Amino acid sequence: MDKTVLLAVLVPVIGAFTIPLFNRISKDLRNVMAVVIAASTFIFNVVLMQNAFLDGIRYVVSFPLGFDFILKLDPLSAFMATVSSLISLVIVIYSLDYISHYENQTEYYTMVIFFMGSMMGLVYSDNLIWMYTFWELTGFASWRLVGFFRGDKEIAKANKTVLVTFFGAVLMLIGIIDIYMTQGTVVISELKAKEITFLPATLILCGIFSKSAILPFSTWLPDAGVAPSTVTSLLHAAVLVKIGTFVYAKLFGTIFIVPESFSYMVLIITGITALVAGGAALIETDMKRIIAYSTISQLSFIFLGLASGSKLAFAGALVYILMHSIAKGSLFLCAGIVEQKTHTKDITKMGGLVKSMPLTALAFALSAFSVMGLPPFGGFFGKFFVFKGAIETNDIIVSILFFIGAILTMLYLSRLFYKIFLGSEKPNMPREGSSTMVASVLFLAFLGLVLGILITYPFDYASITTETMYMMGVNIQ
Amino acid sequence: MAIDLISYSLVPLFAALIIPFIPRKHRRITEIIANITLLSGIINLGYVIIYYLVLNDYTSYTSDAFTTLMLFTIYLVGMAITFFSTYYEVEKDTNFSSYYSLILVSVSAMCSLVMSRDFFTLYIFMEALSVCSFALITSDSKTFSIEAAIKYFFLTFPASVLIIFGISLLMINYGTFDFDTIKFTSMNFLTFVSLSFIILGFLIKAGIVPFHFWTPDVYEGSYSPVSAYMAGIVTKVGGIYAIIKIVMLLSSYGFGSNLSKLLLFTGFLSVFVGAIAATVQKNMKRMLAYSSISQMGYIILAAATFSPIGIIAAVFHLINHATFKTVLFLNSACVEKSTGTTNMDELKGLEHRMPWTSWTSIIALFSTAGLPPLSGFWSKLLIILALWQSGHIFYAVAALIASVFTLAYFTIMQKKVFFGKLPEKFNDIKEAKYQLLIPVVVISLIIIFTGVFFNRVFPYFERILS
Repeated sequence: MDKTVLLAVLVPVIGAFTIPLFNRISKDLRNVMAVVIAASTFIFNVVLMQNAFLDGIRYVVSFPLGFDFILKLDPLSAFMATVSSLISLVIVIYSLDYISHYENQTEYYTMVIFFMGSMMGLVYSDNLIWMYTFWELTGFASWRLVGFFRGDKEIAKANKTVLVTFFGAVLMLIGIIDIYMTQGTVVISELKAKEITFLPATLILCGIFSKSAILPFSTWLPDAGVAPSTVTSLLHAAVLVKIGTFVYAKLFGTIFIVPESFSYMVLIITGITALVAGGAALIETDMKRIIAYSTISQLSFIFLGLASGSKLAFAGALVYILMHSIAKGSLFLCAGIVEQKTHTKDITKMGGLVKSMPLTALAFALSAFSVMGLPPFGGFFGKFFVFKGAIETNDIIVSILFFIGAILTMLYLSRLFYKIFLGSEKPNMPREGSSTMVASVLFLAFLGLVLGILITYPFDYASITTETMYMMGVNIQ
Repeated sequence: MAIDLISYSLVPLFAALIIPFIPRKHRRITEIIANITLLSGIINLGYVIIYYLVLNDYTSYTSDAFTTLMLFTIYLVGMAITFFSTYYEVEKDTNFSSYYSLILVSVSAMCSLVMSRDFFTLYIFMEALSVCSFALITSDSKTFSIEAAIKYFFLTFPASVLIIFGISLLMINYGTFDFDTIKFTSMNFLTFVSLSFIILGFLIKAGIVPFHFWTPDVYEGSYSPVSAYMAGIVTKVGGIYAIIKIVMLLSSYGFGSNLSKLLLFTGFLSVFVGAIAATVQKNMKRMLAYSSISQMGYIILAAATFSPIGIIAAVFHLINHATFKTVLFLNSACVEKSTGTTNMDELKGLEHRMPWTSWTSIIALFSTAGLPPLSGFWSKLLIILALWQSGHIFYAVAALIASVFTLAYFTIMQKKVFFGKLPEKFNDIKEAKYQLLIPVVVISLIIIFTGVFFNRVFPYFERILS
């Protein structure tokens, strides 16, 4: 089992660089290999998840000065890795069709797989320095992917993406070095239940917020929408922004003891972010930017659950990470179909697409319901547990901020669905997307519904994870 | 002198002496001699170093690790430049016989410099190196390069005067030049003045802010492979090496806090001035020159901590800088050869036609910016740790923040030169010849493997202090 952890990381990281070699043989082989690598990574993670509650599964390569390369299995890591490799796998399959009209496909597949591999490395790393390493590698992959279309605008946005996240990461590195100097180690499992002060915690938080696009680092995420829809889907649902939530959950939820004021600061910042992003999503007319702002506001809910200091809310946030990944991945992939067929991202130029694209509309609606939090979709349970836990422990201001945020979510998603799929029909109605693409989005949409109905399984996993890992009496209580 | 290693210095010198006797029409023979000489050296040194890196067992290791490592780096860059120049087509009026002779003599001078065990020998070979570089800059006989050579002469040779003056004062004070016998037992006024002169001279030679004015002009103006040679190794060995050596000497005597403050401040200035100036450059070679100034600042910062880990970090970063800056300058030479310009505003989207050049430049630039797990990240991390441990937290944080600027100017460079749509005027551009790519790709692989196998490399670096 120790080797499986290594394989789950090395297969995609090394495998990514074999893709240009397979491309030399044939394009089809390259595509097949991309799917095979993504699928095998997912399978490794499923195997790991079944053994997630066993103790002491780790793989160590010793490095000098305490920077040992350690991969360690824990329930939280296995959960996150499985979620993101599942979404990545669906995105790779969807890409087979979506990306086939464009240049630079080899680089695209290489970077997507590499992105996924870096994510695996990040979640299993048991050393802050190596977590930082994989953190930067995801930044590198996102730089190439956001610039996929190679126009001046795209490259400028790609540079913005990498520079904002790199700036945050550098602040985080300062925090890590501070911990190294004060605690004498950067091995995460050795830092368990150590108290850290406000400053290093805030520095690490800057890194987390820059990746998760929380104010004041939020502007790069809507701008990154210039990338192909598969890439934005990957950034929003599977990897990039979820890195921030995962690292927050792991470090501040299960490892460090932080000052109360720190958690409260997180709640206030994310509460404001939820409102600002919700408001921005209401007035925006670019389809992908609306969904991007929606991601920002939904991430705030995840942070609310993680930082509120209640076990129930923490477990709810983990469930919501899963449900949001599925729903948001599906929304972006639907947007990809719409964009490809209508050749525009402007929702004022669309309307009545439900007649010509019924399946896409169905998938979009199901996913949007999940994000809005309508029962019995998965998103409802995630949000419900977060709210329930948060209201039990928290003061009223934070709860009101997030309640308004939830209402805004409902408004802007209804508006988006209405403008695209309902409303007056425009001339030149496009046809439905290809079967691979539609099947992918329908799979994700129904997965959200099924997981909502069978909510006991993900919720049990999340609550057992919380029971075993959550630091008692750490945050506000 | 370290006598047991002297053959590394003598062999290229003899080869350089043979070359003028070869008739000019047999250019190929000249090139073969130059390449074979350096290749044999690098195979030899590479075997020694890789043997220990792979086994990770230093019980039978006898040589001076620091010197061996410096020799290896000198040979590596020298070899890369010679091989590159062999296939880099040049104008007709270039004087090949003197070109390869000069490269070999300067390799010999650098090897002797790192082998020297007293200040006077160090000075002699530094002068020999300066004269060779002065001649090398003019290799392609353009007006630009002659201008660059004159600037180099007027702005760096005064530094030699400062250095010899400082060394003379040391001689008066202690009666010896020898590193081993000279004892800095007390920091009296004469020692202070003499060391100040020496360090000032070497800071000018290294092109550290505020003495950096000559570097951009020289790197931009000189013959392209020579820019890579100058930026990659010559200014490091001719300037920074001596400073690291002095720091190593002084750190064992437990004083140097004033010197430390001075060096920290100049290093800090270099890091920031270099990085900020690089963001506004229009010419690729000029940008790389400013980047070089900024990276030299990091080495000075590390050395200025006077701590063991700082010295390790300085040497490590020096070697990393030699690798990634060589790659970047050789890339710019490839770009210049293919498109005829290094003005970044005229370039665009070259990755479609020059994928190897593009990707090796990405590797090198991310290593420069300190992106893990490339080699540059580890050396930068060691620098930060050294600064933090010795209590200079402000400089540590500043050095980290500066790496954001580093990444900024490099992403700007990527956007202008490689990353983007290919304009029609570049449709006929071809990738550089594969022979030109071999040194670049090999050094890029060294960057990656040094970073990924840092656990193997680090024990070797720990030995440079013993």
